[in-house]
Amino acid sequence: MKRNKKNIKRKSSSYSRLSLFQKSGTKFFKPCPLSGKEAPTISYKNIKVLKKYISESGRILPSRVTSVSQKKQKELARAIKQARVLALI
Amino acid sequence: MNCYEHTLITRHDIQENQSKNIIEKYQNLINKHSGKVVKIEEWGLRNLSYEIKKNKKGHYIHIKFDGTGETIQELENAENIDEMLIRFLTVKVKKHDLDSNYFEKKETSTTTEKYEKK
Repeated sequence: MKRNKKNIKRKSSSYSRLSLFQKSGTKFFKPCPLSGKEAPTISYKNIKVLKKYISESGRILPSRVTSVSQKKQKELARAIKQARVLALI
Repeated sequence: MNCYEHTLITRHDIQENQSKNIIEKYQNLINKHSGKVVKIEEWGLRNLSYEIKKNKKGHYIHIKFDGTGETIQELENAENIDEMLIRFLTVKVKKHDLDSNYFEKKETSTTTEKYEKK
């Protein structure tokens, strides 16, 4: 029941369509959007990219929502924190 | 020698001469202490996403340089005293990327226009 409550909360926010909690039975797999050949570079200067991976209130989105790989999530978190210091985000 | 990127935020109410002086000052300081400036970018006047020391806007100056740990220590010691600066950040990078430009000149031109109107 607790999970259900969480689910409802998520759906109300903007990133609900990315959520992993979908209908049971359907497979859900999305490749990492930041790895691959034509992936954008992660840098504290590249605000356009970073803004996709923070919530409206400025918190870092978890990788289970955005399906970013572990390696890239680490880089991303670091870049976001650097951008925060410079008041870019 | 390592590659570093250094970003300064200065107050918004300084004049052009002063900003040039600031750039020169830190350029000389880096060159003195066994460093070498590779590139200097000016991102212009930008809105800060949150207030820092009661400032809402700031001029951004971005310096790419090669240097050692000593260079950074001297640089940051000097910057801690400087009242014209709001904040600074040093980041170590493996390689300088001189091609990508995330803060285009269009932005700076629009900000200067706004300045003139005021």
